[in-house]
Amino acid sequence: MQVTMKIFRFNPEKDTKFHYETYTLEAEPTDRVLDVLERIKGYEDGTLAFRRSCAHGVCGSDAMRINGRNYLACKSLVKDFGANITVEPILGLRVIKDLIVDMNPFFENYKKILPYFITESPIPEDGRERLQSQEDRERFDDTTKCILCAACTTSCPSFWASDDYFGPAAIVNAHRFIFDTRDEAASERLEILAETSGVARCHTTYNCTVACPREIQITKAIGEVKMAMVTGKV
Amino acid sequence: MSRERNISVIQGLRYQGGGVQLAWLLHRISGLGIVLFVSLHILASFFGGDFGKFTNGIYEAWWFQLFVIFCALFHAINGLRITVLDLWPKLLEYQREAIWMEWAVFLPIYGIAIFVIIQTALGG
Repeated sequence: MQVTMKIFRFNPEKDTKFHYETYTLEAEPTDRVLDVLERIKGYEDGTLAFRRSCAHGVCGSDAMRINGRNYLACKSLVKDFGANITVEPILGLRVIKDLIVDMNPFFENYKKILPYFITESPIPEDGRERLQSQEDRERFDDTTKCILCAACTTSCPSFWASDDYFGPAAIVNAHRFIFDTRDEAASERLEILAETSGVARCHTTYNCTVACPREIQITKAIGEVKMAMVTGKV
Repeated sequence: MSRERNISVIQGLRYQGGGVQLAWLLHRISGLGIVLFVSLHILASFFGGDFGKFTNGIYEAWWFQLFVIFCALFHAINGLRITVLDLWPKLLEYQREAIWMEWAVFLPIYGIAIFVIIQTALGG
């Protein structure tokens, strides 16, 4: 099939304003949007800039707006969008070049929620792993799937309004540790998330859950964090 | 451009969030509509006279009543949905169904309101 791809372009070295460029090329319906972008970069316009790494939906590098909504380009098939595809950078972050955005504010928010295992307890006597029941593991199973692609955070109207808001991805990763029975810093994280830029800015819009390429129930996770904050029970 | 965040009101509105984003947007618009209605009431009572009559004329007009009832009804039903989902986060897995249910409740009630207001406006 013939695909017309309209791509957001911005080169800070010569452009003062972004513009769109259109490329028409042959593609299989089962090609991924990333394959088409690679073909454009390889054969038509080598100046096109976009992030990609694993190309298999694991690294989270290639989140972008495709026909107006956030997706991973490596998990999006051409046939799902039709012959006319518009590709733009994710919203709410500074554009560095073309489809590449400055992810620093996103990762700064992520760091604020202490996204690492914290415990004061000594290691078990046998010196091996800290055991956990299957039920306890299931409580945060969903939120371990986050790949930090920023598709959720950059689809959130509260984040669009202010990048001070931690954003869904940071809260999802806080959830992953708050509900882990082996971790002992839940109250510290809940205190951080109680700040004005924390969970109170979530208005249950649900855009994040719709955008998540890993199908994480993000709004539910944020709701559980809110309840833990109100009730003090984890 | 390069020093700014890639966002504007237009870009936000263009985001294809579907039904969930529409509900979020209408909640904001209906909230502003309620503020406008209450403000008109306060202004009409405060100033009175010709200004009060003019303002009364606006919010007693059938088209404004349709707007206000839309705002109050949608804001209330959508707010109830969000409150229920916030209090029972497990139900957030059924968010889409909750939105369908919200429209199923809203549309018949608003339909009746439209019928009554138009009928009254036509002198029925």
